[in-house]
Amino acid sequence: MNRTELLALFEATATEVVEKPFKNISEGTVISELGIDSLGMLEIVGAMERKLKIQIPDESLAGLQTVKDLLEAVEKRITASA
Amino acid sequence: MKDPRLVPPTLVDAVNELARSSSLGFTFARADGTERHMPFSEIREEARRRGAHFASRGLVKGDRLAIVVPDPDEFVLSFLGAIFAGVVPVPMVPQLSFKNVETYHDTVAHIAEASGAKMLLTTEATRPYVEPATSRIEGLAKSPGGGIMTVADLSAPISGEPNVSIGGDDLCFLQFTSGSTSKPKGVVVTHGNLAWNSQSFMVHGLEKDSSFDKGVSWLPLFHDMGLIGFVIGPLFTNIPVVFLPTASFVRNPRIWLDTIHKHRGTITYAPNFAYQLVSKRLKEKDVESWDLSCMRRTGCGAEPIQARTLREFADKLRPAKFDPASFIPSYGMAEATLAITFTPLGKGIRSDRIDPKDREDAKATPSDAPEAHELVNCGRPFPDHEVAIVDEEGNRLPDRKVGEIVTRGPSVCQGYYQEPELTAAAFKDGWLHTGDLGYTVDGEVFVCGRLKDLIIVRGRNFYPNDLEWVVSELPGVRRGNVVAFSVDGDGGEELVICAEAFQSEALGLTDAITQAILGHFSLNVYKVVVVPQGTLPRTSSGKAQRRKTRQMFLAGQLAQAQRVQGAVEEPSPTA
Repeated sequence: MNRTELLALFEATATEVVEKPFKNISEGTVISELGIDSLGMLEIVGAMERKLKIQIPDESLAGLQTVKDLLEAVEKRITASA
Repeated sequence: MKDPRLVPPTLVDAVNELARSSSLGFTFARADGTERHMPFSEIREEARRRGAHFASRGLVKGDRLAIVVPDPDEFVLSFLGAIFAGVVPVPMVPQLSFKNVETYHDTVAHIAEASGAKMLLTTEATRPYVEPATSRIEGLAKSPGGGIMTVADLSAPISGEPNVSIGGDDLCFLQFTSGSTSKPKGVVVTHGNLAWNSQSFMVHGLEKDSSFDKGVSWLPLFHDMGLIGFVIGPLFTNIPVVFLPTASFVRNPRIWLDTIHKHRGTITYAPNFAYQLVSKRLKEKDVESWDLSCMRRTGCGAEPIQARTLREFADKLRPAKFDPASFIPSYGMAEATLAITFTPLGKGIRSDRIDPKDREDAKATPSDAPEAHELVNCGRPFPDHEVAIVDEEGNRLPDRKVGEIVTRGPSVCQGYYQEPELTAAAFKDGWLHTGDLGYTVDGEVFVCGRLKDLIIVRGRNFYPNDLEWVVSELPGVRRGNVVAFSVDGDGGEELVICAEAFQSEALGLTDAITQAILGHFSLNVYKVVVVPQGTLPRTSSGKAQRRKTRQMFLAGQLAQAQRVQGAVEEPSPTA
């Protein structure tokens, strides 16, 4: 799964979880400006983990600021579990 | 303070007793699904070993040790290790994902400073997120090694055992409250408080039976409900518990019930929002695979309880044989150690529907009208404890008159650590003034809201919860993302509503909110502020902070957030 596909997956998952459409999210989008609280973000991460059959350790989520940071953490787990 | 009759007098005695006579233990489930089971005897041994490590680092009886450890097993063993060494643990929230880093560092620095911590314990993985704050803390900086150590340091072999004598009046740990107030305060919790409260909720409240009861909890261990409810209470009363990481539950709420099903859990507790999250996320096929008839104590506390949420949960789980009579709505707070009132076993949710008009006049009159407010019965106090409702002068009020809830008894703590003024304001002649508004009916307690948050407009009393719930029902607003408070206007208090919404739906919401409040309460809204999601300040447990939101509003910071996001129209005064 490449970066564009991952970004699309994130957008789709966020839309599902928060039950609101998310469009025009880019890698540079700052997570805290998405208007999703941290509980909601964790729900999104959980849903992405299930779809991708991966597990992201909590500590690699702690410092994330942008969507790019999150996608990189996801990518790292995909590579690690491949 | 005299010792309780049915449990040991201190946590140390309790763990020693378990190691001698119990074959039970704690099970720690990890995020990857593996489990670590530790019999109580092994837990004691490891705790004493860790205690020796703390002593070897120069910590002596009464010294405070800040603990920032997210892994439940490492947390519990280190927490107990400190207690065996007579050291006072100060549990702290680990950095939550996607939160503002500076705010987190401020909280860490504040708690470490206020507790006078000599040392901070963390993990290798968490250390990078804590360390930037520790250099700012004077007490730590003076300690050898910068006052920071990790659980890896505790794995080295060590000789000797902690040898301190500990009694019921000794300080056990400092519970910093996340309260909706300004800065967290450290509640002084003694061994005696813990013994009494554990006896109260485990023995009198839950009527625990060590031959088959088993707790299942994902609650954070830096909060009283997770730490006292599922670590300390069960240690005092010989109950096994399965712990799940909090983040695992949020990512996948079905893990909670899945674990209860697998382990045949009998006792669990959660705040209202968790029951709501489960109802929202569960799929039918999840429910079909479970047999939850084992759940005999399903507690709800720590935030206002909505009867509707619990009913939805019960409906959804009926095919899994969940018994709604197992619900135990409860009321409590850190200043009273943990639990203050429990409902009687087997009764489930009982609620009171009261007239909103009379409520404005501090009366709770039963009503069958559709616009009546439903409040959940939180039950009565435990043996040796009392609850009363008082007015502003401290006079006791009769049933169905709304006033401040006060409580006294051996579970009530002595005060806030090194905060004499705050202590004097809340603890008066042995009575804890909870700051909560409520009323009683035949000795059973109903909680209406926080005293300081009460909104009084032209002599009518309004509870922010009521107003927020009505606004939350509007399309475009998510439950829990609304804050109501009052500001001083020309002729007295005026109502302000702040709601989070998406840009696409923000337009027109101001009018809808104004209309809803007018329709339900015949109350004019002075200002509606619609802000982008994520703007409202929250406590570490995710509750919106009313007072902080009010401060931000008065400082013009909420309007600013709106401009940056370019979300909606200007807030318009509607009075």
